[in-house]
Amino acid sequence: MNVGDALFGAFALPFMARALIVMLVLAVVAGVVGVLVNLRGLEFISDGLTHAVFPGLAVGLAVAGSAGLVPGASIAALSAAIALTWLHRAGVTADAAIAIVLTATFSVGVIVVSRSDDYAGELEALLFGRVLTIPPSEVLPLVTVCAVALLAVGLTLKQQVYRAFDARSSRASGDPAFVLDLVLNGAVALVVVAAASTVGTLLVLALLIVPGAAARLMTQRLWLLFPAAALFAAGAAWLGLAGGFAASVGAGLDVPAGSTIVMAFVLAYALVLLARLVSDARPPSWRTRRSSRAASPAARSSHGPAPAQGMR
Amino acid sequence: MTDIPVLRLDGAAFTHPGGGGISGLDLSIAPGEAVAVIGPNGAGKSTLLNGLLGLVPLSAGTMRFGSPVTDDPAAGASRAHAARGMIGFLPQTAELDPDFPISLEQVVMQGRYRRLGLLRWPGRADRAAARRALETVGLTELAKRRFGELSGGQRQRGLLARALASDPRLLLLDEPFNGLDQQNRDALTDTIRSLKGAGVAVLVSTHDLDLAKVVCDAVLLVNRTQLAFGPVDEVLTLGNVQECFDGVEVELDHHTLVVPGHEGH
Repeated sequence: MNVGDALFGAFALPFMARALIVMLVLAVVAGVVGVLVNLRGLEFISDGLTHAVFPGLAVGLAVAGSAGLVPGASIAALSAAIALTWLHRAGVTADAAIAIVLTATFSVGVIVVSRSDDYAGELEALLFGRVLTIPPSEVLPLVTVCAVALLAVGLTLKQQVYRAFDARSSRASGDPAFVLDLVLNGAVALVVVAAASTVGTLLVLALLIVPGAAARLMTQRLWLLFPAAALFAAGAAWLGLAGGFAASVGAGLDVPAGSTIVMAFVLAYALVLLARLVSDARPPSWRTRRSSRAASPAARSSHGPAPAQGMR
Repeated sequence: MTDIPVLRLDGAAFTHPGGGGISGLDLSIAPGEAVAVIGPNGAGKSTLLNGLLGLVPLSAGTMRFGSPVTDDPAAGASRAHAARGMIGFLPQTAELDPDFPISLEQVVMQGRYRRLGLLRWPGRADRAAARRALETVGLTELAKRRFGELSGGQRQRGLLARALASDPRLLLLDEPFNGLDQQNRDALTDTIRSLKGAGVAVLVSTHDLDLAKVVCDAVLLVNRTQLAFGPVDEVLTLGNVQECFDGVEVELDHHTLVVPGHEGH
């Protein structure tokens, strides 16, 4: 199998086309939400939500089969988002308390799953995802979940950024902090739901956190962060799916596609990091030939702010 | 004074949910008037500002923003909430993350968000207002620069521009002169003066008594409760200052005086 087949031909297969559609939509939304997670430093809450979503998946599966997965996970994740936002507002900042509650819910999920007949198979699907076996009936629910998350964040975007930058002034100007946090945590929860169904609960965090972190390395300009993270995530998702297809069909290696996708995210992040390090390490004389806007921030701060009239 | 006060507190107290706060506040500020809030660290200066911003609840008395006196507490409360739209606020720059990827211009634009609401994005009028605000503080040249790259004084003026972009009738400044060099201090006092000329009321928290003399009309002396409020010369007496700053070094009329503490009690 040649590279062209893996990158393009493979997606003529219906199951690969479904996987690509879901992954591209998810990647774009996870990228946009992930930038806010990065700016707000919400990585820990995101981690907590991935644990909370697991019992939802398990109960949904037990109650209604695979059609119950997305609704079950959505209910569990949104309840956890509300609970976490409320705990935070009530001043419960103890990370340990949150960790205890969320690992407890994870164990509940394992117990529910272990009651079913195909314990090993179902557990594997929930932990490592099943992006290549998404049934056609599940494409719409997953895309809807992503669209709701994108809409929620999109409608509050400038206020979310204001809150991330200067929480006190944002509240002072009348923005409802609790509502903004609830909307953002809810969006994170929905991304976790969609990602858990595709790459699995163990790998969800990569989709949510890697694109935002990569975008921070790529640009310092606020409104470029969101498209940068979305494009990064979409590209990595596509390459990861193609890589997984090439490995299993071309090379006969049976690897879960979720893991090759996450591998692609991490490798792409490593490339961006390398590019950034190289760009920062070049001597200043190289950089002055390019436009000053393209220069890295480290270079600019080493030159100091350009003198402006009558001020320092 | 025939003007309706921009802010009026009668027997007001602001108390944190966990306890602690500031009480006994009786004051009013007219348009174009500047009031310095003076007191030692921990005297409740920030609590007062946070209370006016609605971040710490009013636990006693009344608080009125620019509206005629009303005896209906419900109407008063909702009017107070609406009136917050006319307050500009200048936080301390140290609160902000210098690595945050945002330009000076984008920070100033945040001052317009309140009138834009959730759905609308900045338009031509907002960009013009942001440009004017940057001009006022003399940072037009640096509009595209990342906020975290600016010097401390430039950040302070950038935040002032954001407060100005919201067209406030009352401007709250939280320790604005901390860590500023003389040049930036002068620029800031000039800006405060021209705002007063334009009818903006200003409330500055500070422990710099000289600043109060230079730019303020009245002084509010606090230490957990209101000790004195009135014209600068009447309030900033040695006795008042000694009572307020108990055993702390203070500068007054270019003399440093150490107020003796009461040891052994």
